[in-house]
Parts: sequence; structure tokens; C-alpha cells
Amino acid sequence: MENTPEYVIEMLHITKEFPGIRANDDITLQLRRGEIHALLGENGAGKSTLMSVLFGMYQPEEGEIRKNGKKVKINDPNDATALGIGMVHQHFKLVDVFTVLDNIILGAETTKLGFVQRKEARRKVEELSERYGLKVDLDAMVEDISVGMQQRVEILKMLYRDNEILIFDEPTAVLTPQEIDELMSTMREFAKEGKSILFISHKLNEIMAVADRCTVLRKGKYVGTVNTADTNKQELSNMMVGRPVQLEVKKKPAEPGEVIMSVENLRVPSKIHKGDAVKGVSFDVRAGEIVCIAGIDGNGQTELIHGITGLEKLSGGSITLCGKNITHSNIHNKSAAGMSHIPEDRHKHGLVLDFSLEQNLVLQRYREKRFQRYGFIKKDAVREYAEKLIEQFDVRSGQGAVTTARSMSGGNQQKAIIAREIDRDKPLMVAVQPTRGLDVGAIEYIHSQIVAQRDSGKAVLLVSLELDEVMSLSDRILVMYEGEIVGQLDPKKTNIQELGLYMSGSKRDSEEGKQ
Amino acid sequence: MIFLIQQTLLYAVPLMIVALAGCFAERSGIINLALEGIMIFGAFIGVLFIRTMQTNETYLAAKAAGDWMTLQGLELLAMLAAAVMGAIFSLLLSFASINLRADQTIGGTALNLLAPALVLFFIRIIANQNTLQMATGDSASWFMLKKSTFGVDKSVEWGFFKELLLNKAYLATYVCILLFIILSIILYKTRFGLRLRSCGENPQAADSLGINVYKMRYAGTTISGALAGMGGFVYALTTANCSSNGDVAGFGFLALAVMIFGNWKPLNIAFASLLFGLFKCIASAYTSLDINGDGIYALAQLGISSHLYRMLPYIITLLVLAFTSKRSRAPKAEGIPYEKGQR
Amino acid sequence: MKENRLRTLYEKDGTKKVLASLLSILIGLIVGSIIVAIVGFSKPGMGGKSVWDGIRLIFAGLFSTGRDASGILTWGFNPTSFGNMLFRATPLVMTGLSVAVAFKTGLFNIGAPGQYLMGTMVTLMLALGIPSDAVHPVIIWFIAFFGGMLAGALWGAIPGLVKAYLNINEVLACIMTNWIAANIVTWMFDISNFKNVTEGTKTGYIYKTTFNDVATSKLGLDHLFPGSQVNGGIIVAIIIAIIVFIIMNKTTLGYELKACGSNRHCARYAGIKDKRNIVLSMAISGALAAAGGSLYYLSGNTEFYWSTYQALPAEGFNGIAVALLATNNPIAVIFTAIFMSMLDIAGLQLTNLTAYNEYITDVVIAAIVYLSAFSLVIRMLLDGRKKRKASADVSTPGEDKKADDEPAEPEPEPPEPDDNEKGGEQT
Repeated sequence: MENTPEYVIEMLHITKEFPGIRANDDITLQLRRGEIHALLGENGAGKSTLMSVLFGMYQPEEGEIRKNGKKVKINDPNDATALGIGMVHQHFKLVDVFTVLDNIILGAETTKLGFVQRKEARRKVEELSERYGLKVDLDAMVEDISVGMQQRVEILKMLYRDNEILIFDEPTAVLTPQEIDELMSTMREFAKEGKSILFISHKLNEIMAVADRCTVLRKGKYVGTVNTADTNKQELSNMMVGRPVQLEVKKKPAEPGEVIMSVENLRVPSKIHKGDAVKGVSFDVRAGEIVCIAGIDGNGQTELIHGITGLEKLSGGSITLCGKNITHSNIHNKSAAGMSHIPEDRHKHGLVLDFSLEQNLVLQRYREKRFQRYGFIKKDAVREYAEKLIEQFDVRSGQGAVTTARSMSGGNQQKAIIAREIDRDKPLMVAVQPTRGLDVGAIEYIHSQIVAQRDSGKAVLLVSLELDEVMSLSDRILVMYEGEIVGQLDPKKTNIQELGLYMSGSKRDSEEGKQ
Repeated sequence: MIFLIQQTLLYAVPLMIVALAGCFAERSGIINLALEGIMIFGAFIGVLFIRTMQTNETYLAAKAAGDWMTLQGLELLAMLAAAVMGAIFSLLLSFASINLRADQTIGGTALNLLAPALVLFFIRIIANQNTLQMATGDSASWFMLKKSTFGVDKSVEWGFFKELLLNKAYLATYVCILLFIILSIILYKTRFGLRLRSCGENPQAADSLGINVYKMRYAGTTISGALAGMGGFVYALTTANCSSNGDVAGFGFLALAVMIFGNWKPLNIAFASLLFGLFKCIASAYTSLDINGDGIYALAQLGISSHLYRMLPYIITLLVLAFTSKRSRAPKAEGIPYEKGQR
Repeated sequence: MKENRLRTLYEKDGTKKVLASLLSILIGLIVGSIIVAIVGFSKPGMGGKSVWDGIRLIFAGLFSTGRDASGILTWGFNPTSFGNMLFRATPLVMTGLSVAVAFKTGLFNIGAPGQYLMGTMVTLMLALGIPSDAVHPVIIWFIAFFGGMLAGALWGAIPGLVKAYLNINEVLACIMTNWIAANIVTWMFDISNFKNVTEGTKTGYIYKTTFNDVATSKLGLDHLFPGSQVNGGIIVAIIIAIIVFIIMNKTTLGYELKACGSNRHCARYAGIKDKRNIVLSMAISGALAAAGGSLYYLSGNTEFYWSTYQALPAEGFNGIAVALLATNNPIAVIFTAIFMSMLDIAGLQLTNLTAYNEYITDVVIAAIVYLSAFSLVIRMLLDGRKKRKASADVSTPGEDKKADDEPAEPEPEPPEPDDNEKGGEQT
């Protein structure tokens, strides 16, 4: 901090408390001009809280923020923008029914007598988009454009506001490996121009590839800042979790048995447009193997699973489960035929949040003889059963079986769902993004449970967006692109790059695609 | 024919302005189920205002002298009063749903219960009966634009349009149409409108861009309250002979249906309210409807029970909702309380 | 020790709900009093004494026994008022249950007035239409009662159907069916021959059911509260409330209905037929509201004003307040309904004894509903700051439009440092 301050933004000794929790405990983050600085931490480590403090959404109890060495007070996002700070949020902050242009100018409109001057704005955005190679269609509605383009819109929003400190919050989660490469080169270009970049991630590969330095947080505490040149993945991961982490999932080779489920030429209508979201998909899942559906979010995976489990009506094709044709069965009968289902969205489909834990644990079983007589629920039987599961799967909650599901942590909610589904003991388990948003401990636990299911002879159909999970957990990979299965890969014989080419539609197995 | 169009307009215009009121609230993210209540309140305020001002000598003299400019001014002032009080009344809803993050449906229902109760309580005390009327005369003699207003003799034949627009019409109708156009432009072409709409679709996004969601929602609901209050008074003035009885017969809810039918877009709302206005007009005036001007009251002669005509608007609303529900697209964030700092 | 027990009582969720409701009532009554005071002091000729009388009647109108010779309000046990309170509570218990059941299943049944009217119509037509010289009046009573409930169930099913299959907001659909019902009832009675023509002074009314010798048994209640209209209807209503309580809390049907109500998507996922349950729940609600009308008019001592097309019955709307105040608990509904009808009695006394009128009680009811809209906030205030955190946690990611069905906690990164610590500290 001499004549020209070394750091463009400093967050010094930030402490932010919520009742009962110190979300940020004495955290220091210093961002140099023109560097790419990674912020690493698990889900719940306090990264988001720290960024909310930087954006004035929260006021910290202790600590200060400096810009170019001078103390500043940030009360709301406007202050942050005035200081030249911009952010691409993990969940894009876009208005679906506005055009791309309107989204870019929203909040920073040029006006004449209150009327928005779109012509001027258009010129500026076009110029920026050309200069950085960020291709967007300014007149398209945001809901109609791809996720990749939505991210470019977010980046243009920052550039339009002439921000010089750019924050990327988990920007790669929705991109293909190739798009990630593109994004990284864009980030390097920004850095070269003197913009400073803060890159929030929990993906070690990407941090090693693009960042100059890396600050690590753990459970709300500051762990340290290291030069990426002087460290390696294992060290970073130890810093992040606080103990050595098994980066690979341990499992024996699969021993696939008989076919449990067979899907033939399945078609599922889309909710967004008139056509089908799943366009004629066929595959088998065998006992004792984990089949993983990989792909970028929104390529029909959700609809495929909804079609298989019955949440959505089919527009064609057939499903056979354990030798029984269940194509036109309802949800209840499909599940009774031999299918358990860990749903994608645990709050939407997985749990009734206002019900108690025990009520949630019998969600599909309350009609069984052991839990009811003449339509009256046997409370004691339910309680006994719930307590057994809670103990067996180590589901932690405030008041045991009577805890409201809403008040449980995400990890334990997910554990409860997994306990319920595993205990139903069905030949096929469908698991959709079972580890989304969880911390490493919970992820390890869930992975081991899934592998144990496989080893006990169950068929597992897994849908995952996390490439690392796809590569390490599955025995067979099916890649979905625009509603079709474009490739079948063996995780032992492929790599992330190849997977990426399939995911982006640039490569496909000819025979599979035509099927 | 002229009679039919004029009658339709009388119903369509308040419907249109109140539907736009709903639109402003919902576009900012607040479901304004209280439109009905605010209309009732606005009607009461407007009528009370006129009743009070009628005893003022300026206006009595103006009436006696046939000074229609002054009387139209009184009408506009009453509209303004209804709008202001409607806006204030709607603050109850804004406060509950924005600051206290209350259930907007229940909050709106509370206002719908409160308005008639309050209004009837006061009417009873003021007038010792269940209806509040003008102190003297009726709305037609005081406020209606007629040939005599312009110093033209009754027997003079005007052209079709002049007859349609200026004879037996109310200035309030045209003020509402003008307001409707201005506000629609504001909603789509100005910075304020753009920001307001963003709050109803994705308040998190708006907030991250430094837009004050609370302020925008207050603005939306307050405009909504003002329009609904004014609409309520215009309804009372033009269709209920400027009286208030703590009821607008579900008109506020019809406006909500019109808004949904119009897909939250002003132009569609305008068409939808004309359609509904026509039904309302048929329902209330079918006995005296002489469409071709040939002295035959076709609808009355069909022999269909008057009860059926009366429930027609509601049945049609239900059917229209049923047929348009698939393509209707409500503002995404409507009804969801917004909490700052939430991600 | 004792303090400790008080403390645990205070900590209980149920206690807080009761306290919040009592607070709502108190504030509602105060709002009414303030309005009375404003009017009283601003209007010439009313003044302080009338204000004081008005406020006392708002709070304790039930115990008013009129004015003595010197014009001073007198107080005491008034059996007529008590009996009438129970009589008027009967339909409110039923409409309250109707709204509460719908709320429990995630629906806002503002259609209770229409269902109430349809029930009333069918009950009256059956009770007056079946000749009592051919069929025993008790049997007619049962046919009329269940016929009314059936009509209400069918009428309630309409908004349920359009909600389930066409996804139309049930509030709008209910309001439209209300007005349609109001018109149908007028129409049907208009062309019927049940209009009371024998008593010339009473135009616009339908015969009492006693005209056909049908009436609810008094069950001795008339001896307890002489001079009042009370009858066995209130007992029937209480029994129904208990049955509803058992169904909602102890049976698989209640489990399914509640599951659909609090998370329709999850219920579907679990194989519960969500659409069927929405229709079913609205049908049950409709039947309950209709039973309110049936019980009220089967009393045989009340006449029905048939020209309903201009105004909907207040009993239906007040059911909303009853249910909200009872936090949708069927047993609590009994008490809140009686409270509401006590307000009604107070309103009557106010009209009879002062220059004010009964509409002030509607203002009180509206204020209570308004407060119920944010009863959660009130409960949080009672909790002190402890629950603040919970409120911070209960936030929606806002991505998903359907998030309104289940205000869930934030997705990946809420400010919660540790998985394991978190579960323990919340109530």
C-alpha cells in the first residue's frame, strides 16, 4: 500500500453474524489489479455471504472494505456499481420475458424525459459484444436463448456498466468443457486489460487452470491465500475441507446382471415449446450397474426422468420394468412395480416441508397395512419405523422424528430422502443430482450409499450435471443432447474433453443417434 | 345502436381502468385482490365529496346558471378525491404485503371485507339509510354532457359521431380513456415502467441492479389503488346514479378476470373490457335495448329469464378463464413476498 | 418450578397461535372502538357518553340487558343473547370448517357464500317440497340436510375441477360461482311456489320449514336459554367439527389432503392423486359450507330472503375470519365461530341501544382478517428475536415460479456453516 495501492479491493477482517451462526468470521480478501483471484470453499463455507457483504446486501458486524486503499461504505448494490464492481451470479439475474437488450440496460438506462433511449444503448452494447467476441441476439427474449448466451448477457451487463472489478460466481456449472475454455480465455483477456477478476468456485481443476492466486474459506473462517503456481490440487482440497479428501470414489468393477429396466424410443413432450423435449430415447439399465445420464442442464434429462417415473405424460415409446410393461401406469403403480426415486429438487418433489420427518419418511407407504387400519394411521408404527431409519442412516434433526422437515439442513433433508428411497428396497433406483448443493462430507456419504446399492445388485439410473461425479461414479455414461442420447461411453475409456464434445453436440455415435 | 355503444362504454371504461389498476399492481409483483374493496371505498369517497360540495354556494349557483364547466370541474375533483383516498386505502395492502410479507390473498380479502363494512357504517351514520345519494338532483342533470350543455337545442340532429361522443356522455369516461393510454405508455416506454415490470418478474434481478423493489412495489400498488378508487367512483357516477351502497356487485373481480383474459397487457385489456362491457350492458339493459332502432326489443322478446342475463357475465368470465388459462402468463414473481438480501 | 412450566407452555407452538389470535381479536376490537370514538366525538349530538356506551357494547354486548328507565346501560346474564349467539354460531362453525379444510389443503375457499346459498336452496326445497303427511318430518329433515350438503359439495367441486384440471386460480373461480349461485337461487325461488304469500307483510321471504312441520329438535336447549332461537343445530355442528378434526389428523385421507395442500408436487411424486384430492377437498369444503345453511334454516324459526342476487350472505365470508382466527384447527373453529357470533350480538345491541350500527362489527372482523394475513409475523414478535433466524432461512431461491407453493429454504449456499450443528438449534 505505497503510492499506487497494490490492491484494488480489500475486504479486511470481515465478520458477519446471523443469529446462531457466524457466516463470516474474520475473513480477509485482497484483490490485485489485473489478477484473476479464485475464492475457494465448499457449499456453506461463507463465500456467498462474503459477496453479499461486498455488494451491500448485508452489513458486516466487523471489518472494513477498501477500494484502492481508501475505506468505503457499501450500503446497497448501487454503491457497489458506483465503485465499479459487477457480478455474474450463479443463478442468473435475468428477467425472462424481457429482451436481451432490456436486460442489459435495466437499472442503468439512459433516458430522455423518463423515456428509455434504446437506440443509444444498442450501439454501445453492439460495440462491446464485438470487441470481446460475446455474441448475443439483442432482440431475443431471454427465455428463448441458451444458457451459454445468458451468461454472455450477464457479462455484457457488467461491461455495459464499465465495471472494472468482475466477479464470477460458479460460472462454469452450466457450461460444456469447451464453453468453459472459451470463458476462461475471455477472463484472461479482461485481466490483460487491467480488469480485476474474482472467480468463485469449488472446482479445483479450473482454479488451477485460470487463477493467479486463491483464497480458501472453510466453515466461515479464513484458511489462507496461496499462489496457484506454488500449490497443487490435493493441497487446495485439504485446505478447503480441513482433512485429506478422497478425490476418487472407491468402488469395485461393476458386474452387470439381467436387464431391470428397458426404455424403448421414449418421447416426452416439452413444457416450454410445442415439440418433444425427449425425442425417442432407448436404453437398458441392468442389475448391479450405475448408468449415468450426462449432459448440460436443459437437454431433456429432467423430462426423461419425469417420463420414466410418471410425473409427466409420455408422447410415445414404452418402458419395461422387471419384465412388466409400465408405459401407461400411473406414478403409484410405476413405483410399486420396482422403482425408487431420489428426485432432482428435494424441496419441490422430495419432501413436504411442513410435514414432520416421520410423516415424510412414510410418504409412499402410509397406505401399507403396517401403517394404517381402516384408514386410520397407526401413529406408533410410523414413529417406530421412522426412528429405525433415522438411526440407520444417521439423519440428524432438532427433535428427531417429529422435527418439521423445513427446519432441517439441506444435507440431512437429502439423507432422509435417501433413507426413505433405499429402504423401499426396489430393484431400480433413479437418482437425479443426488448431491446438488451439499458439502463434501455429505457427498461422500451419498456416493458410498449409491455404490452400496449397486453392489447389492440394484440397478441405478443416475442423472448428474457434475462431470467429476459422472466420471467417478458411473459404470456406463449416456450423453443427452437436445433430447436425444448422442453417445454411450465407458468412463474408464474416455475423458472429460471427449465427454464435452458429446455434450455440446459436436460429436455423436452414429449408430446410437439414429436408433 | 348509439345507445348500445354508449351503454357498453359506460361499463367497459370503469372495467378497463380497474383492470389496468390490477395490472399495475401485479406487474410490480403484488396480487391486488382488493380491487373490489378499493372500488367500493372510492365510490363512497367520490359520492361523499360531491354530496358535500353540492351544498357549497359556488356549485349551487353554477348549477342554476347551467355553468357546465364548473360542474365538470366538480366531477373531476371528485374523481381526484376518490383516486387519492383509494391510493391511501391501498397502502393497507402494500404495508401488509411488502413490509410484513403477508399473504396477499388474505390481505386483499381483508380489505374487501373492510371496505363495505366501513362504508356502510358511515353511510348509516351520515344518511340514516343504506345508500348514500347526492344531496340534490341526480348525476344526469348535474354531470352528463347533453346537447343542452353545449347550448344546442334537443331537436337538432348531430352527426353519428358527435351524437355518440358528446350527447348523453360523461367527461369521466374520456378522462379514463386518456389516463389508460398515458399509463400504458408509461408502463412500456419509460424507465419507471421497465423497472416496475422487472420487479414483478424477477425482483432478485432488479435488486441486484440497484432497483429498490419495495419502492417499486409500493408505486405499483399505490397507482393501482388510485386507479381502482377512481374507477369505483366513475362506476358509481355513470351506472349507479352517483350513489354508494357498499357494493359494486363483483365488478372488481370482473376487472381481475379481464386483466387475466387480457394477459396482463393493456391493449388486450382494453379489448377484453369492451367485450365484458357489452355483456354487462346486455345484462342490465336488455329490456330497453333496441339494437336496430326499429322499435323492436329483440332481446327482451326472446323470453329468456332476466335471471339468466344477470348471471351471464359471471358465467362468461368463468368460461373465458377456462379457455384462456393455458396461454395466460402471469408475472412470475406475483404473490411472492420479497425479502431483501435473499438470493 | 411453576415459572418453568409456564415457560414451556409459552414455548409451545399451539400457545403462540392462541396468543396471536387473542392479540388479533384485541387489536380488532380496539380498531372498532377507535372508529366509534372518532365518529362519536366528531358528530354533534353524540359526544363522550355515547362513545363510552358504544365501546362497552363492542367489547361486552353479549352481557347487555338493555337500558334502564334513566337511560343507563344495564348488564347481566342475558339468556336470549346467549341462546341467539349459539344459534348464529351454527352456520359460522360450518363455514369456518369449510374454509379451514380448504386452507389445510392449500386452497382458499372464498366460495363459501355460494356453497352456503346452494345448500340453503336445496335444503329448503326438499324440506318444503316433500309432503310431511306422506313422509315423517324427521326423515324429511335428514333428506333435506344431506341433500343440501350434496348440493354444496357439487357446487364446491366446480372451482376444484377448474383449479385441478385447468389451473385456474380458485379464488376467482369461487367468486364467479358465488355470484352465479346467488342468481340461481333467486331464479329458482322466483319460479317456485315456496314464496311466503300467506303473511302479506313479509314480501320476499320463503316459508319457514315449520310450514311443513320440519324443524331441528331443540334438545332442551330452549329451556336453558329461554326466549332465544337456539336449537340442536349447534350440537350437530360441534359433532361435525370433531369428525373433521379426526379425519384431518388421524386418517390416511387427511394425510393425503394435507400433503397435496402443502406440496402438490411432492404429493404427486409420492403417487398421491393430486387432482382428485383438490376436487375432493373443495367438495368437502362445499358440503360443510352448505351444511351451515341447512342447519340455519332447518331450525324452522328463520325465514330465508330469497332475492339474493345483489348481496352474498355474510356467513360465508365470515367463515374466512373464523378459520383464520382458529389457525385452521377444526376444534378451535367452534370457539372462534362462537366469538364471531358474539360480535354479531354485540352489533345488534349497538344498533338497538345506540346511534351506531351493526356494521362496526364487520369492521372488527375485517381488521381481524387483516391481522391474520400476517399472523406469522405476530407470532414471530411473540417469539422475540429467536425466530428471526428462521425467517432469514425461510427464503426462496426465486428461480422457480412454483416456489410459492413451498417457501423453501435457500438452495446451495445459505449462511449456515455446518451441516451438523444446524439441525439442533431450531425449534
